Amino acid sequence: MNAPTPSSPPSAPSPTVPRSLHELQELLRAQSGPLRLVGSGSRQHRLPQAPANAQHVALTGLATIDRLDGPDQTCSVDAGVLRRDLDASLQPLGLELPCPGDGTLGGLFAADPIGAAAPGGQSPRTLLLGAEAVLADGTLFRSGARVVKSVAGFDVHKLAVGSEGRLFALTRLHLRLKPRPRAEQWFGNGGLSLADAIALVQRLRQLPTGLAALQLAWTRDGGCEVRGRIVGRAAFVRTTLQANGLTASAPNWRDHVAAAGDAEVLSTLALPAQLPALLAAAPSAQALLWHGGNCCEVAFANAADSDRALAALPKIPLAARLVVAAPLRRGLATAMDPGVSRLTRELKLALDPHGRLV
Amino acid sequence: MASLDSQLTALLGPHRVLTSPDALLAWECDGFTVHRSRPRAVVLPETTQEVQAVVRLLHAAKVPFVPRGAGTCLSGGPTAGADAVVIDLARMRKVLHVSTDDLYAVVQPGVVNLDLTTAVHHHGLHYAPDPSSQSVCTIGGNLAENSGGPHCFKYGMTQDHVLGAVVVLPDGELLHLGGPAGPRGPGEPDLLAVFCGSEGTFGIATEITVRLCRDQQGVRTLLGAFATMTAACRTVSDIVAAGLVPAALEILDQATIRAVEASVYRAGYPEDAAAVLLVELDGPLEVLAEEAAEVRAFFALQGALRVEEATDYAERKRLWKGRKGAFGAMGRLNTDLYVLDGVVPRTRLEEALAGITAIGAKHGVVMTNVFHAGDGNLHPNISFDGRDPEQTRRTVAAGREILQLCVDLGGSISGEHGIGTEKLDHVRMMYGEDDLAVMQRVRSVFNPSGLCNPGKVLPSRGACAEVAKWPQMVAKVLDHEAKR
Repeated sequence: MNAPTPSSPPSAPSPTVPRSLHELQELLRAQSGPLRLVGSGSRQHRLPQAPANAQHVALTGLATIDRLDGPDQTCSVDAGVLRRDLDASLQPLGLELPCPGDGTLGGLFAADPIGAAAPGGQSPRTLLLGAEAVLADGTLFRSGARVVKSVAGFDVHKLAVGSEGRLFALTRLHLRLKPRPRAEQWFGNGGLSLADAIALVQRLRQLPTGLAALQLAWTRDGGCEVRGRIVGRAAFVRTTLQANGLTASAPNWRDHVAAAGDAEVLSTLALPAQLPALLAAAPSAQALLWHGGNCCEVAFANAADSDRALAALPKIPLAARLVVAAPLRRGLATAMDPGVSRLTRELKLALDPHGRLV
Repeated sequence: MASLDSQLTALLGPHRVLTSPDALLAWECDGFTVHRSRPRAVVLPETTQEVQAVVRLLHAAKVPFVPRGAGTCLSGGPTAGADAVVIDLARMRKVLHVSTDDLYAVVQPGVVNLDLTTAVHHHGLHYAPDPSSQSVCTIGGNLAENSGGPHCFKYGMTQDHVLGAVVVLPDGELLHLGGPAGPRGPGEPDLLAVFCGSEGTFGIATEITVRLCRDQQGVRTLLGAFATMTAACRTVSDIVAAGLVPAALEILDQATIRAVEASVYRAGYPEDAAAVLLVELDGPLEVLAEEAAEVRAFFALQGALRVEEATDYAERKRLWKGRKGAFGAMGRLNTDLYVLDGVVPRTRLEEALAGITAIGAKHGVVMTNVFHAGDGNLHPNISFDGRDPEQTRRTVAAGREILQLCVDLGGSISGEHGIGTEKLDHVRMMYGEDDLAVMQRVRSVFNPSGLCNPGKVLPSRGACAEVAKWPQMVAKVLDHEAKR
């Protein structure tokens, strides 16, 4: 999290921290009230507010890196393992988990706030090979596998990605890893008009290979910057930088839109070509950050402005959801497809019939 | 029955509703030919609205139905019971929209995989997942099975390339999942990810949005022939450990090489080699020569008997011809072919192959191996005469042991062919009752009536008598083995 946000919370109650899978299961079986699953808590201020009587359960006590298979480029980690600890373990093996994000791995995958960092790139969705998880009633189940390829059974584990912990608790994740690139270079081209920035992004999206990250950042006062990371062999990185007129820079990745004051932030999915329409429908937007996987966040100065955008975006059409706001407003969203809405409700009923995971 | 037939005919016309036993013969099995069952009827819709109307009718009549693409599935996924209607999507073969700026296409489910690439080739684009059957298999079938292919090592499976789908649910309701910008809207669960690979048991995709990939600047295909399978497998490990990410890493064993070289798929592979490794590199021109040199060095390190490098399209096509035609070539070996599909961690390939050889010898079956070595995705193939019950019994028994071996080595019973009916009895090798119960809960959300492709993927529940024949055969084998 790079930017301060207004609703930076945390008057959340002290969480219970089970130290083992068994303890977690026992805790779930013993409780009948609402539960809020948390990791390190770094993303809690972006979730709809939990009911006042909800017990917070932190999975940080499940923190074992169970298996690091360098030659096979896979690993199995507990949900409470910190991203930075996994990164430190992978570095000597010449491997990386090629998706952005911090906090615990369980939290990162359950939130999936960004998707892919680059067009067609890896995301939590593509990197999660399998999982062990616990339902709200304490039942442990497995889905997927530890190997890089498996189509045995239904990919129930993929439902965890982006579910924000409301379907079941991921307890162990089987992840695909990638070799660290032989060379890399970050770039940042600032001072661009929106049209020029979109044109540059569109050109970079057409590259057949090489970008590991791509962002377009727009602010009302400062114009646009296009930034990203090129990876590959040194000759390729150099050529790509030069051929596209990119300006080398230090690492400049941002996870979230920069917002300040009483800002609210909407999350949406938008193609680059839709960004002018998005900003036209949201004339009071203060800042926008578009990621290469098309996840886009837009900051507004106040609730009235974001309400107007929520009303206007479906006409583009774009779906959106309020992710940073006063607690009671978080989670406000444009209408879902009716079928998706129904299935989402029924999925929740099927996996957590008493609605305990909130 | 007459009433249902006439209602279907009223919806689609007489030529798109097939009910005569002779006409239904072509739909009695997929590529998993050991399991056959003729459906009650076949319908051939051409639009989403027609699929929706047919499904509503069948749902109201409580008649099971089975969606089907080209029927190239290798696990019995689209094989229907005698009481079921096959909804054949082969006539839904329009490419509805291509966006070269945003790199996606919207297609009907009956579009043939390779036809999509052909349709966008002139834009310098292609569709990456490439099952061996890509010249006939359909995008809808690929979505249902989460199909793979040789180039999935670098580019991922079908699930990684599907951005959206319009789905007719088993009660006829229409569902819009994802879209060109991505598979999951803000705050939504990833329904598309779990739909993909559900083997036609969650509903019928009638429009599919897929990612298109920009063609790479260059491609180099190298062949290394080795005196031992171990040397070929170790070369794969060396290449991957060096951080190279080839587009494909494929191995054929000697029996496969000889079958290929004796067939119309002859590619000039050295028949004295114990294994041939195909390595395909793609990427920017400035790095290809460097990467090819590294691969050649790894070939030399493991004592390759022969090395070839294709630098133009014709040569590359020749080297791939044998690999792509390998399954067809095995038709020379016997009347039937059982194509297995297991996965092991790549680092355990040697161990797995040794075990597979031992299992083949134990059961006295003719075994060949051709596999996606980069993914650890094995395809042991057993050639047998399906008219001979004893050969069939030994084939089934060997297949089961091989899949158990894959699981014991930390792998999976399927890398890309799915469970279908073939592996219904093997699913418990990987999953316990609680795991399966959770999967069943998820399926019930999409398919509460159980009418959509019953008796597939999950053992026991909803299997009709015809569909259950194959698991019964497996059960007999198990009984037989237990008594010995």
